Amino acid sequence: MTTLAAGPREPAIAAAEDVSVSSDGRAMDADETAGAPFLAQVWAVARKDLLLEVRSRERLMSMATFAVLVAVVFSFAVDPAVRARSIGGAMIWVTVLFAGTLGMGRSWALEREAEALTGVMLAPIDHGALFLGKWLANLAIVLAVEALVFPVFALFFNLGFQGSLTALAAVVVLATVGFMALGTLFGAIAAHTRLGETLLPILLLPLLAPVVIFACAATQRLLVGRPVADVVSQLKMLGAFDLVFLFVCTAVFGAVLEE
Amino acid sequence: METTTATPPAGYVHSGVGSSNDSLASTRTWAVGLGVLAGLAMLASLYMVFFYAPTEATMGIVQRIFYVHVPSAWTAFMAFGIVALCSAGYLWLRDPRLDAIAVSSAELGVVFTTIVLITGPLWGRIAWGAWWVWEPRLTLTLLLWFIYVGYFMLRGAAENPERGRRFAAILGVVGAIDIPLIHLSVQWWRSQHPKPVIMRPEGAQADPAIVQTLLVSLLAFTLLFFSLMLFRYGLERLQTRAHALRAAPR
Repeated sequence: MTTLAAGPREPAIAAAEDVSVSSDGRAMDADETAGAPFLAQVWAVARKDLLLEVRSRERLMSMATFAVLVAVVFSFAVDPAVRARSIGGAMIWVTVLFAGTLGMGRSWALEREAEALTGVMLAPIDHGALFLGKWLANLAIVLAVEALVFPVFALFFNLGFQGSLTALAAVVVLATVGFMALGTLFGAIAAHTRLGETLLPILLLPLLAPVVIFACAATQRLLVGRPVADVVSQLKMLGAFDLVFLFVCTAVFGAVLEE
Repeated sequence: METTTATPPAGYVHSGVGSSNDSLASTRTWAVGLGVLAGLAMLASLYMVFFYAPTEATMGIVQRIFYVHVPSAWTAFMAFGIVALCSAGYLWLRDPRLDAIAVSSAELGVVFTTIVLITGPLWGRIAWGAWWVWEPRLTLTLLLWFIYVGYFMLRGAAENPERGRRFAAILGVVGAIDIPLIHLSVQWWRSQHPKPVIMRPEGAQADPAIVQTLLVSLLAFTLLFFSLMLFRYGLERLQTRAHALRAAPR
């Protein structure tokens, strides 16, 4: 908080080196973003969050550890007679949803602590840019977790993936884009309630049904070795959902923050 | 607290509370009037359900639950349509009356969706042989119910009423946009699996008496919905006013 007012303002690169773990909106110093193009504002917010994450690694570590533990729980829970390959897509996406929701809650709880959000709000940035910046940072962090979850499940359950990695990556990215759009919006809302992170999954899971259905189906098809052509329609649907969710969430986000 | 409500500042009574009391009086008149009409229509529909409509040939007596199930579903979807419109209106105009309509509608929407979710399995047990089937319309209704239960949890958990209204309106708008997407997804999802043999009542050549009974039931439930909604709206407005009076300077 104090860094907002203190000290001479440095150029962007130098400022980036200076952001301490507990500070908040240094990267969005007024001089830097006043009248800055929209995308620069988005990047400033995203960079702030990513820097905090790179320095502390607390969300990445907690989400990744949780995800691996869920994989362990699955191996206890699933009957050995069941072919893991036939439920691999389901297990992976359940894990990603729970781990991602966990991280989403943290993303905004961070801003609420020490009233960091007030500092962010004082910066002359568009509400839409703030939303997209947070979304971008969340997307990067959850994608990093997914990059771990998939190999871990493949290893634990001997999934022996033979299909197209590019198609799988496309499914993961497209599904996560929509997941994070809703997650970032409702994470912000939940953080401003008394129930906090407890409320988030209750709001989020029913709304995520379209993403879950298509992501699971596409992943499962690739997992059992069906050709890429079989998942093209799911990829298109996921892309369409992403556009709708991103547009709607960005549009209504301003109403979350106003006081 | 009581002293404040008993002797509010003089100007406050005349400007805010006194004038809007009249509009609530007319709300109550309408609520009672519609309630009486709903009661009459409900009696007529009950008579028709049990004595006028013929027993459906393939499903037998259990088909008569259809006259509660379908009107409840219709009313629930109408309620959530009203929630969506009033939520969008509230975010735009910030008129607390729009929020009061939205919350009244949402509450009744949850009630009628619950009726749908109870009567559906009762019928399905006989017609489909299973209490629950992951059929697109059932899945959509269940998710709808969860979204609007979340709507009330969100309102209740907000740190102040104004924030609660704002957050609920956001969920109302996003939920309404999401519902067609959920519908699309569950349709696609179930089309991948063998469909249950659905013996839909409307599939059988509908007897005119069945159609007439259904229409009267639809009318009765719609009237009941609007009557209850106006009562609930009046209550919500009174609550808001009570909050304002408590917060008013002594």
